[in-house]
Parts: sequence; structure tokens; C-alpha cells
Amino acid sequence: MKRETPPATPAAFDAQSGNLLERLIFNNRGAVILLCLCITLLLGWQATGIGINASYEKTIPAKHPFVVNFLNERSELNGLGNALRIAVAVEQGDIFTAEYLDTLAKLNDEIYLLPGVDKPYMKSLWTPTTRWTAVTEEGLDGGTVIPDGYDGSPASLDEIRTNVARSGEIGQLVAGNFKSSVIYVPLLEIDPETGKALDAGLFSERLEALRDKYQNEQIRIHITGFSKLIGDLIEGVGQVALFFVAAVLIMLVVLFAYTRCARSTLGVVCCSLIGVLWQLGLLASLGYELDPYSILVPFLVFAIGMSHGLQKMNGIMQDIGRGIPAVVAARLTFRRLFLAGLTALLSDAVGFAVLMVIEIRVIQDLAITASIGVAVLILTNLVLLPVLLSYTSVSPQAAQRSLQSEQDDLAGKARHPLWRLLDRFTTKPWAIGALLTGAALAVLGNLVAAHLQIGDLDPGAPELRADSRYNRDVQFMNANYAASSDIFVIMVRTPEDQCTRYGTLAAVDQLAWRLEQLPGVESTSSMASLSKIATAGYNEGNFKWYELVPNDGALGAVQTRAPRDLFNQGCSLLSLYVYLGDHKAETLARVVATSEAFIAEQQLPEVKFMLAAGSAGIEAATNIVVEQSMQAMLYWVYGAVIVLCWVTFRSWRAVLAAILPLMLTSILAEALMVLLGMGVKVATLPVIALGVGIGVDYALYVLSVILARMRAGDSLSQAYYSALLFTGKVVLLTGVTLAVAVATWVFSPIKFQADMGILLAFMFLVNMLGALILLPALAWLLLRPASLAQDAPQAAPAADAEPPAASLRTQP
Amino acid sequence: MNILRYTRAWPLSLCLALLPAVALADDAAPPRSPAVLAQPALISAKAPRSVLLAITRAGERLVAVGERGIIVLSDDNGGSWRQAQVPVSVSLTAVQFVDAEQGWAVGHLGVVLRSQDGGQSWHKQLDGTQAAQLALASARAGGDEKRLKDAEWLVADGPDKPFLDLYFSDRRNGYIVGAYGLILRTRDGGDSWQPWMAHLDNPQGLNLYAIRHLDGALLIAGERGLLLRSRDDGASFQALASPYEGSFFGLLTTRRGGVLAYGLRGNAWWSTDQGDSWQALPTGVESALSAGLELSDGRLLLASQSGELLFTTPERLQVEHQRTHEGATVAALVEAADGSLASVGLGGVAAQQPVTPSPLSRNSL
Repeated sequence: MKRETPPATPAAFDAQSGNLLERLIFNNRGAVILLCLCITLLLGWQATGIGINASYEKTIPAKHPFVVNFLNERSELNGLGNALRIAVAVEQGDIFTAEYLDTLAKLNDEIYLLPGVDKPYMKSLWTPTTRWTAVTEEGLDGGTVIPDGYDGSPASLDEIRTNVARSGEIGQLVAGNFKSSVIYVPLLEIDPETGKALDAGLFSERLEALRDKYQNEQIRIHITGFSKLIGDLIEGVGQVALFFVAAVLIMLVVLFAYTRCARSTLGVVCCSLIGVLWQLGLLASLGYELDPYSILVPFLVFAIGMSHGLQKMNGIMQDIGRGIPAVVAARLTFRRLFLAGLTALLSDAVGFAVLMVIEIRVIQDLAITASIGVAVLILTNLVLLPVLLSYTSVSPQAAQRSLQSEQDDLAGKARHPLWRLLDRFTTKPWAIGALLTGAALAVLGNLVAAHLQIGDLDPGAPELRADSRYNRDVQFMNANYAASSDIFVIMVRTPEDQCTRYGTLAAVDQLAWRLEQLPGVESTSSMASLSKIATAGYNEGNFKWYELVPNDGALGAVQTRAPRDLFNQGCSLLSLYVYLGDHKAETLARVVATSEAFIAEQQLPEVKFMLAAGSAGIEAATNIVVEQSMQAMLYWVYGAVIVLCWVTFRSWRAVLAAILPLMLTSILAEALMVLLGMGVKVATLPVIALGVGIGVDYALYVLSVILARMRAGDSLSQAYYSALLFTGKVVLLTGVTLAVAVATWVFSPIKFQADMGILLAFMFLVNMLGALILLPALAWLLLRPASLAQDAPQAAPAADAEPPAASLRTQP
Repeated sequence: MNILRYTRAWPLSLCLALLPAVALADDAAPPRSPAVLAQPALISAKAPRSVLLAITRAGERLVAVGERGIIVLSDDNGGSWRQAQVPVSVSLTAVQFVDAEQGWAVGHLGVVLRSQDGGQSWHKQLDGTQAAQLALASARAGGDEKRLKDAEWLVADGPDKPFLDLYFSDRRNGYIVGAYGLILRTRDGGDSWQPWMAHLDNPQGLNLYAIRHLDGALLIAGERGLLLRSRDDGASFQALASPYEGSFFGLLTTRRGGVLAYGLRGNAWWSTDQGDSWQALPTGVESALSAGLELSDGRLLLASQSGELLFTTPERLQVEHQRTHEGATVAALVEAADGSLASVGLGGVAAQQPVTPSPLSRNSL
């Protein structure tokens, strides 16, 4: 391996030196810039077409049997159609006033006219479908709840009050405290005006306009339902753009404060932004849309780009500080760091790509979009940035400052206290202390992480914050109406027109009662439970007839008056609704286990019980997939990272030194999730992989320098000190700035984005500390010059990464 | 809304017209016995909050019965409840104890249960399949064409008919009554049962909702104003002239020989001459009356299914109103040993119900 004396002028530099790639790039710098400019224009134009959407189907594991069953039967599951519930509440008094009913009527009429509303099935106090019934000697009597001759007089208000009491709608359309009533708004899949799928974002905006119009001191309006949730999510996603701007500004400020050089700061930020732009352009070209999960990927790409860009810039700056011309400095830095950078970016890309093993669309999309983004960075930040800096150079003062520590060291002055502190971890007592602390943390972390839960732990819609307006509206509904937002649905297929057979209903009833015994199950509802009530109803309302009578004729008669959400048109599919008190993983797992045990022992040959639909049913499936994927994902990501590290280092000891700190981070991240009450879910699962993929960057940059120096004969302490000056301080800088940047997500209105932000920030910081403290300690334990010589008798590729500082010293 | 009259649970006449072949073919082979007849009631923490349909006392103990074969017991006047072992999972509709140990409960699918330990354990004495076979055997012996046909239908239908009330005069002698005019009598505490339909003047086979003893006579109340009386120890029941065309759901007989027949739409009728003449009690409520009770102080208490409590006295037939706590629905009432009032209904047991009218309606005190 030959060492070069840095040339003082570009002319003195051998343009034919370096490998083919280097010659190709640096001997055609103009063409590279031009090419990148063209790509940027093309993809930038493409990127303007990228759409934002939030699709429920993409967040669920489409291949899990529960979801397959649900999607198969979906068109016939009437009760699970997309519907909104709009509660109109009075602040004082009750709903039996002319003013309230007047407001309700106006709102009712406006909602009725909204495009996308399934008008015949809309229901409120004002719709003719809302009726009362009473048992008389002649049979059943009935009428609309708001009588035909309603005139707002006290007498007619009294009549409404009586009608509501006998309508059976208390707890359904009317709250038990008579302070609110509900407008039930089923939605169509296809907007008849546009002929396309209903735009949840637009519909939600229209609802908000109505809410603004009618809500005042007297009237409060609460809206729940899937389309509203999606609308709120899309609204929240829009705000993510603000976080992106904030992150860019934070990095700009920190970077400039560090370098005091506007040219290089802008160069690094611009290249990272170009990377993001290319990524968005590619995604748009490939037909991808951004969703609330993948919208965070541009952040990650930008952040990772910054991390690598900084390494390049730092290298070039230091070389320029040594008096090397910019173009040569850029080329030498490229030569030294390209492989380490490439390996690091490949690890990142692999870390993302292994997420493909999880069969949930949003995670797979995240994997693809992030992998594309990271791949793009290889071009923008490893190639374009050095070329760009070779033209712009850096400010001379900044270049001088960047070498300050090194020159101080050479001049025999005291080392910077921080580097001195970190350097101590290569000495026996400090290394042992660090290793023992690390081991203790690993043990403690493992103990805590043993309590890691699968799934969502908070009540309400888990996508949004507990105190979001949507979740407060959900709370209002749950408190005032017999409604639960956590519904587990078991589907029961029967032969055509036989869904009310006694044997089938008896089995459904038995399963329902077994499920009701489980903690967390509040109640159930099915054709079987309705048949009991109906039998009493058909027998003059006498409670003593409350039973599922073994008489197919009588049970069939119930169908005519049964709500359509309990069975399908052809009477061949029943839905058993299980209302849960929460959607904790253990509650869902209990329901699944009990149902599956029942299904295994049930003996009706023509009846098929199927899990599962409903929000909780799908979540149960998601939990199962997430739990199974978690181990697989960790094996894959660690496997990939280990292979890449070995390719880079060619030393098992070095691989261990790089991987063990990452493992500690993984353990501690899990422990943090337990402490913060976060479960492993669709949002947090990818973070665990990303943390490993990105974390290994630091180890790669630091360890490759250490190895090169030690192979060149330096002591561990000298080698580590060189690494600190060359790449280590950038690791420190990027670790902190990345953590701060992703920590801005904490302010996202979308709960899982906030969770991801906290976890990623934590992993960035801990990975950085691991690379700067634990890694040298492990190096002390594992890396001995002798063993290195054995490991890699030939020149390892990492040798290219040796810092230029070496060339300024006398050779040993 | 007359059409609904015909969508009642068992449009027997309709079945006869439409499906004669099927039913006759099934004559010899009764349908498979439903699993609930052999399935012990699940012990459930939710038992006291399930649908409960009847409540009584076994000595000092409260015994309530209801859906899914649930029977709950309380030895502290309704403060706490525990569930009894029951061999079936059907809805139980009525329960009676003749002393602190001996009691019977009846319910759907023709089930009769007996307890000899104050309600702690129960065994099945009869179910609908057996009852139908008994009716068929008895009809064959009797030789009456129409009764034989009815009995054959009973067998063919399977055990789908409930018993709705029972009356035992002592440990040995009792009657159980139910849907479609079903009535059976026992002389040996339920070990054997005799179909008793032939002794009733109930040609339409109307539902029998209540049977009570009154001063040497037996009274039965039922669907569509049906009132039957026997003054010959049950040998024959004659129809009484009914003051009401709607259904009676219950009978409240007093210690001093009066009787209240109550039922649909707040109707309650009072008689002091064993049912020869009836006087309307103006209850002022619209919902069906489901429970009646003579309190230990002699006052009479009726309750509507929707939770209205109506207090009256035999002397002055005026009603004072009260509501159950939290609007609990009422299927049955009982006075506990400490004089407090316990009710059962769709929401389970509710102890400590009010035993005095609300101040607003207390104009007579």
C-alpha cells in the first residue's frame, strides 16, 4: 500500500491515479454536474405530482387469514360499512326544545345533501326511519318519533319525549341523559359526483365547515367515524411539511455554527435536499403516494444524507486546511471515504429493505421508498457533493479551524478535553468500566424489555393523540351512547337463506357467552341476542319470552324486522359483534384464543365461523403479524449488517466491536418503549430496524479509521484519537443534530409519528454514544495489533480510509 | 298493525296449513335435542347482571333465576350473590320454594328443575321432549281426536315451548303452566307429571302466564284476558267472564282473599269474590305490569316492566308511584328477610329498591 505525498497544486496530482470509478467521476467533473442538474430538473418536475393519501387497507396485514376473511366477506358486512356518527349536544337543558330540534333539522338537511352520503340509510330524529313502537291489545302500534303535526309547541315536544322513550333509540340515536342526539351518516364507497372513490379529506373538510357553522355556546358537535379519522390524519400529514422545514433550518444553523463556512454548509444541505427531491421524483414516477408513515422517509433520507455529506465535507475541509487544492482534496476524500460511505449507505438501505419481510403494505412501502432514497444518496452525497465542493472549495478560515485539534496535537499542546475524555475509553480501567456499564445496561434493559407489549395500548383511535379532538369526540360517544370503538367481529357463513337456523344461532349464542366471560369484553351483539329480544317482543313484550327458542319458523320471522348489520341480504352471513373495553394486545389475544378454541370444537358441518373483522379484529391480526415479524426482522437486519461489516473490516473481532453497541441500543430502545408505554406496532416496528441500519454508520466511520491506523502500526489510543479527529467529531455532530431533527416529530398531531420521533431520536443518540464510548472499549478488549495482522494479512479495503493525518507524520 | 299478530313466535295455524307433510313424517322421530338441555350453566362473574326473570325466597335466602340457566343466591338480602350449579342452560322463567329447602324452577324448552338444598344445587325433572311424549301418551289413552293431534304436533315441534309459571301447595303437589295452554300436574314432588290440558276450558290453547292458589280455589291467568278457576282441587278449570281482552301476565293473591290480575298496558283488575266480579285499578301507567307482591305490612305493590313501582292497599284502590333505582327494568319482585325490596329484570338483580312511594305521589299519608 502506497502513501501519497499531497501535491501542492492540481497540476502535480496524477489524474490517472485512483480506481476507475474515481477517474470516471473526477476526470469528467463538468459532465457529472450537468448530468445531475438534468436529473434534478427532470425528477423535480416529477416530484410535484406526488400525492398524499391515507389508506386503511395499507396499514393492515393483507395476507393474514383474518384479513383475507374480512376482505372476502367485506361487501356483505353491512354493519362495518363506512359511516359517520355526528352527535349534536346541548350545553344546557335537554334536546326537547324547539331551538335544538330546529338546529338539528337544518344540520340534518345540509348533511343529507353532501355528496357521498348514502341518503336512504341516513338516520336521525328527523328521518322518517326513526320510529317508535308499542305493544297494544291489537298488536304493535307505531309512528315516526317526530310526529306528523310537529309545531314546536310544548305539547308536541312532550309527544316527542314520549316517542323517544318508546323508540328503543336511547343509547343509540339519543343519549341516555337527553343532552344530545346523533345523526347517523352512512357513506358511499364511490362519490356519485366524481365517480371516483370518496375523498375522505374533502368530505372531512366539508364536515368541519358545517361544524364551524352550527357549533356555538349552546350547541356542541362531535363527529366520529372512519372517514373523519382519515380526514384528520391527512390534515395532520400536511403539517409534517413544517417539521421538514424545521429540521432543515436546525441542521443549517448547527452546521454553520460548526463550520463557519457558508459555502460548504449550503453544499451539504443542498446535496441532501437534492437527494430528497430525486427520491420524491422517483416515487412519483413509480406511482407511489406518500402516506402518514412514508411521509417521514424524506426526513430520514435528508438526515442520513446530512450525516454522510458532513463526513465528506469534513474530509475535504481538513485536506484544504493542509494546503491541498480543493479538487485534489475532494478526490482524496472520495478515495478515502467512498467505500466506508457506500457500505454505510448500503447498510441503511438493507436495514430498510428487510422491512419487506413484514407483510403490511405501509411498512413495505416504507421499505421501498426509504431504500430508493438511500440509494439516491449514494449519487448525491457520495459523488455529487465532493465534485461540487471541488468547484466551490471551502472558506480558508474554516479549513484552518477544522485542523485545529490535529495541529494542537502535533504541536504537543493539550488535547481537547472532550477528545481526551473519550480517548480514555481505550485504556484498561475506563474500558472495563464502560464494558461493565454496558453489560449492566443490557441486563437491566432486557429485564425491562421483557414487558414489551405488542399492539396499541392507548384508548381511542391510536393513530391520533389521546387529547386530539377526534379522540375526545370518541370519548363523548363512548360515554353517552351504547357504542364501543373497539369492535371485534366474528363472521359466520351458512348455506343460503339459513342464517337464522336454531342450531347456528345457538352456536353463535354459546360463543358470545363464552367471550363475554373474558376480561376486557364488555358485551356482544348478534342475530342470536336480537332473536331473544325479538321473541319477547313478538310475545307482547313479555320478558319471560327472552330466549333463543328452538323453532326455525319463529327465528326466521325475526329477520323481517332485524337491523341489516347483523346478517346479509341472502341470509347466509351472520356477524357476531364483540364490544371490547380496550384494544390491548392481551385482550385481543384472549378473544382470538377463545374463538379459535370454540371454532375447533364446533360441529356444524355447513356453518363456518371466521375470524375476524372490525377494528379490533384487524388489529388482532396486525398484532399477530407484528409479533411474528419482529424476530424475523431483527435476524434479517442484524444478519445483513454483520455481513456488510465483515466485508468492510474483514475481521470478526471488529464486527463484534461494531455490532455489540448496536445490540445494546436495540435492547435499550425496547426498554424505553416499555417505560413510555409504547407497544410494538406498525409504526414502531420499522424504527427498530431503522435504528440498527442507521446506527451502524457511526461504527463504520469510526472503526474503519481505527482499523486502518492500527494496521499501520498505531496504538489503539493513537488510532482512536485519529478517528475522533477525522470522523468521530462528525459522528458526534450528526448524532446530536439528527436526534434534534427527528425529535421535532414529537409535535406531530399524529400519535405514531410522535412515537417514531422519540424512538429514532433516542436510537440516534444512544448509537452515537455507543460508537464513541463502547466501541473503543470493545476495541480495547477485542482488537490487538497482533490479532489484526492475523485477521487481515492482506490489505483490507478499509485501508483506503486511513486519515490524511497519517501522511503528515513520520512513518514508524 | 294487525299483520304482526300473525308473526308471533308460533303461528300454529299457519304451520298446520303449510307444512303438514314434514311434521307428520317427524311423528316417530323427535328432532335432535338442543344442546342447552344438557349443557350445565356456565359459572359467570356476570351472572348477577344477566337477564333475570324471577326471584323468590327460600327461607331467609334470595333465589333469582334467568337466562342461560343462571340461578343466583344471596344470603345477605341481596348484598352479594353467588351462582348455583344448574344442569341446563335455558332461560328460567319462574321459581318457587315451599320451604327453606324444597323448591322448583321452570323455564324454556319445557324445563323443570328441582332443588332440595335451598337452591344450591338443582337437577332436571322434566324437559320439553319428555313433556311432549307424556302429552302424546296421555292423549292416546284418552282417545280424543283433537287432543291426539295437538299432542302429535307437540312432539313434532320439539321442545320449543316454555313453562311460564308454577304453583306448589306443598312438597308433593304442584302445577306447571306454560305456552299454548300447557299444564302438567304432579303428586310426588315432580318425580312424575300428568298432562292436565284436558281439565282446562282453554279451547284456543292460549298461553298460560300465571297460576295461584286463592282461598281454596286455583286461579290461572293467561293470554287475551284468559282467566280460569278451579274450585274442585284442580279437577276442572272453568273460564271466568274476563273484564279485559288483553293479556294477563300475573296474579297477586292476598292473605285476606283478594286477587289482582295484572298485565298488558298497565291493566290491573281487583276481585274480592274469587274472580266472579272485577274492578279496575287505575294504575296510570302504559307499560306492561310484570310483578305483584303483598308486602308484609299489607300494602300491595305492582311493578311495570319499564321500572314503575305502584303502591296500593286493598282498602282504597288508589295508586301511588315510585321508580326503581336507575330505572331498572322489572321482571319480578321479592321482599327480602330484612323487609327490603329486591327486583330482577333485564339488567340483573337490583336490591334495596324503594319501599315507599315518592313524596310527590304520597297524597294519602
